[in-house]
Amino acid sequence: MTEERKKILEMLAEKKISVDEAERLLSALGSSEPGNGSADGSGAAKIPWKYLRVTVEPGPGSPSGDKVNIRVPMKLIRAGLKWAALIPKNAQGEVNKALQEKGIDFDFSKIKPEDLNDILSNLDELVVDVDGKDKVRVFCE
Amino acid sequence: MLPIFMRLKVRSAESRGFGLWFPVILIWIIFGALLIALLPFILLAALITSWRGPGFALLLVYPLAFSVLWNLGGLHVETKNARSEVLIDFS
Repeated sequence: MTEERKKILEMLAEKKISVDEAERLLSALGSSEPGNGSADGSGAAKIPWKYLRVTVEPGPGSPSGDKVNIRVPMKLIRAGLKWAALIPKNAQGEVNKALQEKGIDFDFSKIKPEDLNDILSNLDELVVDVDGKDKVRVFCE
Repeated sequence: MLPIFMRLKVRSAESRGFGLWFPVILIWIIFGALLIALLPFILLAALITSWRGPGFALLLVYPLAFSVLWNLGGLHVETKNARSEVLIDFS
């Protein structure tokens, strides 16, 4: 039990708040807990998902009927990100410069595992409909 | 978990294709032996580049390679359309 939950229950026991208020507070607390779409940016969220999934389902207007099913272990993604440490600093600068030229202000050298956790903890389910032809889904499981 | 088997399936409209269960653990053994054999050269490269360049960060290759291989289990890539089908699965 977290400290916040304990406090709410203590306040309820001391009759400082009503049952309804306690319920509201607990549900608000529940929605901001790790794994429930935390957006607090603390980076301390523990990812409950094991895999990142990408699926492509052909839509009615799909000419090729391509079906794609990709499952990547989260640990593999994290392990892959660590390879970025081996990229020479001058090469990182070149990458960042090329990205900035394309209008993307992003520094790869600053990616940390916590940042990845933040991104993934907010990636509940993303669906991209490509021109009504194919349906691309990116989600965690 | 270190994957022991790789399942590979390739099929196309023109040919029957093939399916394969490959014991990738054999590759890991060869890869491990190769990494050990390369260690003196990597140490030398780390020493030479320690003034200007990656230096001893090169030694990170070992734990990083191990980490990637260890976590490869569960990777599944499957594409399919009317003309072809490809499946790669590590388990």
